[in-house]
Amino acid sequence: MSATEIIGSSEQTEFQQDTIVALATPPGRGGVGIIRISGAKASNIGVAITGQVLKPRIATYLNFHLENDQVVDQGIALFFKNPHSFTGEDVVELQGHGGPVVLDMLIKRIIQLGVRMAHPGEFSERAFLNDKIDLAQAEAIADLIDASSEQAAKSALKSLQGEFSNKVHNLVEQLIHLRLYVEAAIDFPEEEIDFLSDGKVEKDLRAIVSSIAQLQQEAQQGAILRDGMNVVLAGKPNAGKSSLLNVLSGKDSAIVTDIPGTTRDILKEHIHIDGMPLHIIDTAGLRESGDHVEKIGITRAWQAIEQADRLLLVVDATDKDPQASMQDVITFLSSHIQQLPPLTVVYNKCDLIGSTETLKQTQSKTLFLSTKSSQGISELKQHLKDCMGYESTGDGVFMARRRHIEAIESASDHTDKAMYQLTTHNAGELVAEELRQAQNQLSEITGEFSADDLLGRIFSSFCIGK
Amino acid sequence: MRFAEQFDVIVIGGGHAGTEAALAAARMGSSTLLLTHNIETLGQMSCNPAIGGIGKGHLVKEVDALGGIMARAIDKGGIQFRTLNASKGPAVRATRAQADRALYKAAVREALENQPNLKIFQQAADDLIIENDRVVGVKTQMGLDFSAKTVVLTTGTFLGGVIHIGMQNQSGGRAGDPPSIALADRLRELPFRVDRLKTGTPPRIDAKSINFEGLEAQPGDYPTPVFSFTGSRQDHPKQIDCWITHTNNQTHDVIRSGLDRSPMYSGNIEGIGPRYCPSIEDKIMRFADKSSHQIFIEPEGLNTHEVYPNGISTSLPFDVQLAFVRSIKGFENAFITRPGYAIEYDFFDPRDLKRSLETKFINGLFFAGQINGTTGYEEAAAQGLLAGLNASLQAQEKEAWSPRRDEAYMGVLVDDLITSGTKEPYRMFTSRAEYRLLLREDNADARLTETGRKLGLVDDHRWSVFSDKMEAIAAENTRLNKSFVQAGSSQAKALDQFIEKPLSREARLMDLLKRPELDYQKLMSVEGVGPGVKDEQVALQVEVQAKYAGYISRQQDEINRSLRYENAPLPVDLDYSDINGLSAEVMQKLQDSRPETVGQASRISGVTPAAISLMLVYLKKRNLLRKSA
Repeated sequence: MSATEIIGSSEQTEFQQDTIVALATPPGRGGVGIIRISGAKASNIGVAITGQVLKPRIATYLNFHLENDQVVDQGIALFFKNPHSFTGEDVVELQGHGGPVVLDMLIKRIIQLGVRMAHPGEFSERAFLNDKIDLAQAEAIADLIDASSEQAAKSALKSLQGEFSNKVHNLVEQLIHLRLYVEAAIDFPEEEIDFLSDGKVEKDLRAIVSSIAQLQQEAQQGAILRDGMNVVLAGKPNAGKSSLLNVLSGKDSAIVTDIPGTTRDILKEHIHIDGMPLHIIDTAGLRESGDHVEKIGITRAWQAIEQADRLLLVVDATDKDPQASMQDVITFLSSHIQQLPPLTVVYNKCDLIGSTETLKQTQSKTLFLSTKSSQGISELKQHLKDCMGYESTGDGVFMARRRHIEAIESASDHTDKAMYQLTTHNAGELVAEELRQAQNQLSEITGEFSADDLLGRIFSSFCIGK
Repeated sequence: MRFAEQFDVIVIGGGHAGTEAALAAARMGSSTLLLTHNIETLGQMSCNPAIGGIGKGHLVKEVDALGGIMARAIDKGGIQFRTLNASKGPAVRATRAQADRALYKAAVREALENQPNLKIFQQAADDLIIENDRVVGVKTQMGLDFSAKTVVLTTGTFLGGVIHIGMQNQSGGRAGDPPSIALADRLRELPFRVDRLKTGTPPRIDAKSINFEGLEAQPGDYPTPVFSFTGSRQDHPKQIDCWITHTNNQTHDVIRSGLDRSPMYSGNIEGIGPRYCPSIEDKIMRFADKSSHQIFIEPEGLNTHEVYPNGISTSLPFDVQLAFVRSIKGFENAFITRPGYAIEYDFFDPRDLKRSLETKFINGLFFAGQINGTTGYEEAAAQGLLAGLNASLQAQEKEAWSPRRDEAYMGVLVDDLITSGTKEPYRMFTSRAEYRLLLREDNADARLTETGRKLGLVDDHRWSVFSDKMEAIAAENTRLNKSFVQAGSSQAKALDQFIEKPLSREARLMDLLKRPELDYQKLMSVEGVGPGVKDEQVALQVEVQAKYAGYISRQQDEINRSLRYENAPLPVDLDYSDINGLSAEVMQKLQDSRPETVGQASRISGVTPAAISLMLVYLKKRNLLRKSA
């Protein structure tokens, strides 16, 4: 047999693709939330979630289950048999009642069943690679992948601000530190550094298992999923912030939550609009204060502004010099925080002035509306959705965070197994393998760490070499 | 003068890469010429007298599984054998042997001289004959022209070699050998990226001048581990001990006082040395808090008194070398037989190579060994074998072959080199292999010998040894899967001595073997279950496969997922600036590396999954996307 034949035979195997899942609708409190699953496991997942074998191309109204047959939602399930589907693979769509928490629980369950989160733009990519999208649309697909990966990266970055990020980074540092010892013990057995046998590894591993459990718990409490998706309304008194708030939320559906703590009540309110938390901060309240408790409130308000995904600067268009008022607010904000969040200027009461032309000369995105006549309100809502990244790709803060939580859970699974291999089998190479996998999972959050990076750290930490 | 005979393959260089390359090409039936500047140095170990070690032993077994000479030569030349990491799992266990240089060299020379299709000629190569971007032959120092379809270059540290001892330096290929200046100049004219590396050796010492009293002896393992899958303990010569001593504060003081005359610290050496094999002066400067460093005293052979003090490689001036050596316990009256030195040499950026180790710019020209920025005999041998077999395949107009990362450490080695290049002399470590649990020494034959047979590298003898072993493993696996121990039976009672709780129901033998408390020997000691297979290699395979079963299938899943576009070829002339959405950084990395396949591109550091998606879409759009190469 010739070499060519050998090569041919080993490469003709059909390699399976992962089954992937993602949200196909903008997350938030919309009317319908669609979860899309694509790949060989899709129909089995459909059975696991709905309890029924789904017939191709037939819409069925049924219950969606979590583990233990717990019903979490009701909705329509659709099964598209390959190649007659969007991606050309088996596809299942679950159309439920929206609601970020329910959707998140369902996605989590689906991932548990052996499916992975889709990369940004991956459904479209598969559709294209499987000839389901024609050439003319190809450029758009490339743009989509590009844009959504960039956006996912931004979202990921955003959700990684503050405490949570510090914890993940510390965890990765701990993990790298432990791997240094384990890998050095394996690759340099003659260097008198057999940490596997001296109890150090077990001690460090216990610490990691416990910090990862803590992180996981925090993540599961939903803190990460809910925090941070913030729009802050700022402006002078009587610019119309409260009216805007009411219009945006709709009088009946507005959930105006009082933040506990008297001081912060004065400065900050928050509501949900289409499932997006909105913080309203009255900049007039952000004055210098001698009162200790109020100071804390003010500090927190500034933090909220600093971490906002979007700042809506509400300006009264009927002011004598609206542009000067706007500038006043910006100057005030800039004097307190280092970098302003992305900014949208909203001129309110536009029904009361003739022309808005003169107000258009500004660098920031500018919108004109009236809370009284409702002109421009739908444009504002659309604008908010756009800048929150709630596009149809389903990638944005929501998916980015689900990915992070998945990564942490999976890493935790690996560190548990590492502990088992260490204490039960004393199998250093399997401990090393589990730790490597754990770090791979976390590197989805914190960036790649190659074998060569690890070796570099070993050589700078230990004096190695004959 | 033009030499009349036409060769399929010419190999330049007779080190560990060159000899494996020449042997491999000849085994595959190609008429092969080995050109060396000195026949007496064929198979010479120019650095420390040892073969194997963690990661390296793995490579040796793979070379052996493909019919190479290294393992058989060290079985004949090894004077102290050990299994490293014996207390750890089988995946990271590795064999290492001290060599008697003369015996090792003789074994290599014997294999070369008896290899059909192989001719050896002593003459330095000065030039490559290149026509239309294809190498067609070699010109030697005396102006002799040899024609060939392919040429494998394995020139080690000889290209532009400069030897440093203290502030003195001179041209040299290694101590006592001339460098290849003409060839280096010629190669620098070709469009390859060239850079400098550095490596070093310790001073050698006359054992008669060493006081071994009070030094720690380091005996080999008994029974001695065997390197070659076709070898046996009977191949091993007499076994002797190594010794261990240590540097001390006084040693470090002497070294510090001589640093002003160190070529490393005065800036005379620009080449980058390996971080994992630092000179003693580097160790003392970088780890100042360490008051002592280990030195392994390795005998150079059974019939010589020279020893190799491993751990004190240095390029300090000779007077400083002598002073610090004599400050070490046991070396108080040491007589240095050869001074330590550092050598700087040219290497070619391996990103200019294909997976077959053929250069991207000159067709038919292959590079192997230190010329590609690696260090170590084993790394060299692995590349030599690959380059030789691919040169032969090309001469026979067949498609190239190179193992993947999940198939062999050889695959990891080549993929790392051609994908990421290297900044320091590249050495194999098991932590470089993501599929470490699959790439074991013990199964190198199972991973590679069948392919080697198809390629023509494996002779009948090895093939029959291999086939018998595989059949025995399969038979024993079947037996263990089909046989059960009944709860309460006499076998179950006999098992109680090993396991915590008595069996409550019948248990499959294979499942029992997977238990942490049991191993193959214990299980087989039970009457009615044993005696099992006699061949310890077969028993080891059965046991390891059982113990690792879960991990093996997990890694296999990982591999299957990664393979979809692994071999989807990327056009050589692909203009990455044409692909929409790639960041400038990613684009630059891809242009520098010019990966051959999408899989290779995905492993370049900084190339994101999104970038790969963009590439796939781009290729698909232009109808360039194929799932298999």
